[in-house]
Amino acid sequence: MSGLRSARVSLLLPRSHSLTDANKTGSWSFIQPRYGDKTAPCGEACPCAEDIPRLESLAARGLYAEALRAVLEENPFPATCGRVCFHPCEARCNRAELDGAVAINALERFLSDAARDAEAPSLAGSGASGSGAGKRVAVLGGGPAGLSAAYFLARLGFSCELLEAAPELGGLLRYGIPAYRLPPEALDRDIERITRLGIAARTGARVDASFLAREAAGYDAVVVACGKSRPERLALPGAELAGDALAFLAAARADSAPSLAGKRVAVIGGGNGAVDAARTALRLGASATILYRRRREDMPAFADELRGALDEGVSLRELRAPASLARRGDGSILLAAEPMRLAGIGPDGRGRVERTGSPAEELAFDAVYAAIGAAPDEAWAIPASSLKLGRCAIDLAGSPPRAYLGDLASASLPALAESVADAIGSGKEAAIALDALFSKGPGRVEAEVERSRVGGGPSVSLGAYLGGERGRRSRRVVAYADLNPDYLERRERELGPELSPAEAARGFAELRAPLSPSSAIAQAERCFSCGLCNDCDNCRTYCPEVAVRLSGGRRAVDTDYCKGCGICVTECPRSAMSMEEPVS
Amino acid sequence: MMRVLEGSQAVAEAARLARVKVVSAYPITPQTHIVEELAKFCSDGSLDGRFICVESEHSAMASVIGAASGGVRTFTASSSHGLALMHEMLHWASAARLPIVMAEVNRALGPGWNLWMDQTDSLAQRDTGWIQLYCEDGQEALDSTLQAYRLAELVNLPVMVVLDAFFLSHTYEPVDEPSQEEVDRFLPPFEPKFRLDVADPYVLGEVAPPYIYMEMRRSIQSAMESALCLLPEVEEEFAGIFGRRHGLVDAYRCEDAEIVLAMAGTAASTARILVDELRAAGRRVGLLRIRLFRPFPAQAIRAALGPARKLAVLDRNCSFGAGGIFAQEIRAALCGHAGPAVYSYVAGLGGRDITVESLRGVYEATRDRPEPPTESVWVGLREEILCE
Repeated sequence: MSGLRSARVSLLLPRSHSLTDANKTGSWSFIQPRYGDKTAPCGEACPCAEDIPRLESLAARGLYAEALRAVLEENPFPATCGRVCFHPCEARCNRAELDGAVAINALERFLSDAARDAEAPSLAGSGASGSGAGKRVAVLGGGPAGLSAAYFLARLGFSCELLEAAPELGGLLRYGIPAYRLPPEALDRDIERITRLGIAARTGARVDASFLAREAAGYDAVVVACGKSRPERLALPGAELAGDALAFLAAARADSAPSLAGKRVAVIGGGNGAVDAARTALRLGASATILYRRRREDMPAFADELRGALDEGVSLRELRAPASLARRGDGSILLAAEPMRLAGIGPDGRGRVERTGSPAEELAFDAVYAAIGAAPDEAWAIPASSLKLGRCAIDLAGSPPRAYLGDLASASLPALAESVADAIGSGKEAAIALDALFSKGPGRVEAEVERSRVGGGPSVSLGAYLGGERGRRSRRVVAYADLNPDYLERRERELGPELSPAEAARGFAELRAPLSPSSAIAQAERCFSCGLCNDCDNCRTYCPEVAVRLSGGRRAVDTDYCKGCGICVTECPRSAMSMEEPVS
Repeated sequence: MMRVLEGSQAVAEAARLARVKVVSAYPITPQTHIVEELAKFCSDGSLDGRFICVESEHSAMASVIGAASGGVRTFTASSSHGLALMHEMLHWASAARLPIVMAEVNRALGPGWNLWMDQTDSLAQRDTGWIQLYCEDGQEALDSTLQAYRLAELVNLPVMVVLDAFFLSHTYEPVDEPSQEEVDRFLPPFEPKFRLDVADPYVLGEVAPPYIYMEMRRSIQSAMESALCLLPEVEEEFAGIFGRRHGLVDAYRCEDAEIVLAMAGTAASTARILVDELRAAGRRVGLLRIRLFRPFPAQAIRAALGPARKLAVLDRNCSFGAGGIFAQEIRAALCGHAGPAVYSYVAGLGGRDITVESLRGVYEATRDRPEPPTESVWVGLREEILCE
């Protein structure tokens, strides 16, 4: 054995103690990776500009209070929106292309409940830019738009007085949305959080246009957020026999609605108010029928709401236009409904209808409610010279300057949707605009609001306005094709269990149970975090040159050694990196 | 201890007994049984080693290159397309002078898709600087794997232990499996001549400009030459412990043979039957089994052939445009020396059987033809298919 041990074999190897550091291979590259968070489509679609990938990522780690705080940065109504928002975010969720959108709405509700006690520390003054200090703002209207404006103004350091005509705050949220969709307790939690910021709220304080003339001088700015509280009236013979659906809903919320046991109730209209009224009537013991002059698919009501109503036993008579109402001898109401037919598709994609000429159908009801829309209670004349932003109009020249919000401004802002989330977004936009007005001057308002937008949509982010990380993200919206499909695993979408239609129709209990904590985490984990680095570390793991350095929790490309192969960018599952020409 | 082992198991047992520290491989038929067995050993603790799962053979070889650079004993196995995918890394392993051992199960390359025996895959890696040992049976597969580590670590070159697909890899035979204690005596713990060390960082495989590259290549050639001298010594030690030796080449009844059949792999077992038959009938026939292909044992071949007039070389491979590869190599080894005329036959590609009868045909064709044809003769071709 010793002979073999001493065998001499040639062994000439290249070996260097000087290391290859001296060879700066990065100098060869003509293109290099850059870290750059982009915009997730959900966040762009959210009228409140919630930073959805970020809050999902926090929730996935069980950091509920932090996740809720991320919501509250941009939206003071998580308990409310987690229930009633029509969640345009989910419609844009990239995950929908794989196995169903992330349950963003259900998760928002979960967070608002789960983090209730460990709630984020007060956000008062958290956004103080200095401009608001000492400035007084009157906010007219205590619905979602006005409360949102007051919340964001207070955070920006303004002192707010909120005037509401009704006995309690909440507007349509309190008086127009039935408890099975929004339990009063959830709404109260959101409103208390807002008023805790030091907002002086006066209820039972009706204001009108003369208020501005009389009192406005005492304020530095006025926010008009009175919404549309006057119901539109039917224009047909016997219209006075129809009740107002909004008033009916308000009475039901206040437990002062009449018993409808065994009664036949008709609701005229196709919006959410009509569906809410029909389902409420059903819960009060009636049989309920919705009459709508166009087709089912043309109804402005959310499809899910309508489907729920029909499942519970509400009848829908589409293509039926009420022509007259008449009281019959037995006290019931005879409703003559003219059959309609499709006469083309309008520019909004909804069907246009015309009379068929067939004789009207005669239907007998015990009560009829009209839910055909509402108008501002007061003719708030928005000056034509007002600056029209995405969701509000600002009269910069007014003395004092005034902002017209939400539904009220929708006539002059045709792109504005009339939804709770849009109203909240409208209040935030006005707060940012007023802050910009006082800190930067009237000439800068539009640019400052523009700078705060998320992606290419109208939504504004307070975080972005205040110069936070959000504002530094690329406006480019990440599409499904930008993601790396190798990292996208199928995982089922899940919502909280739903009451059966029969159970649901029996009372005003919430239709759906909340997500369990384990489901909430599983659902949050489904978020791809489109465009937003979530520390998955693939870039560093796969860099063949070990040129991705991690220090203090932040990653950086060492351009001395990065050859620009692009593997990190390819392996980034979520498009939070991109290849760019080196900037010398 | 005598056990009935599949050829693949015999190799895996040898790697276990060699106490390899890192195994990395990607499955491919007909090699998979080998690494499946080793994966089992790693997981049940009968081998104190780590199995690195990878996404390709290229990465498998890269992994063992990394591990071997760190100074541990490594093992991998592959076959056919998997080996072809490793090609770049095979060059690296040898030039980095890493004593990696790989089992290579000879399988045909596609298309047409074929899982069966064919030598083209390993012979296509002829110039990668790997030592190649071709085995005839399960016992030799086990023994060669143990010897491969000894040799590789002496000369700092990687070794490929080559097995016929199915005929050897999937065939159960009685195999004398040595005890761990015996193996430890033959194969001491690996003492690397160099290894990466975080305490003394340096770079291996640095840039080698023209003024030094040629010397490094010459060093590899020298090491190959050393391997040729050292394998007999390794075998000597092996025989001292285990009582078996396999040779650089295995000459069977060649002493006075006029016609010798030459080949590598399991076909040699079939040839032994024919040789015995012909010898019984008074014919002077022998068999030369080539075990070592790289380095090529030219001297041993010349010595074994003795007075033979004709040498029929059976290749289970074809270098297209040139013919059987073993025949070419043997011709080159005999060039300039007195020796037999070389008759080249291509047979048994893609798993086609080589039978006693087909070998008898080769013998008779060689006997009856005074001069060898210039081209390789293809054995048992279905000419009617080719004519269509």
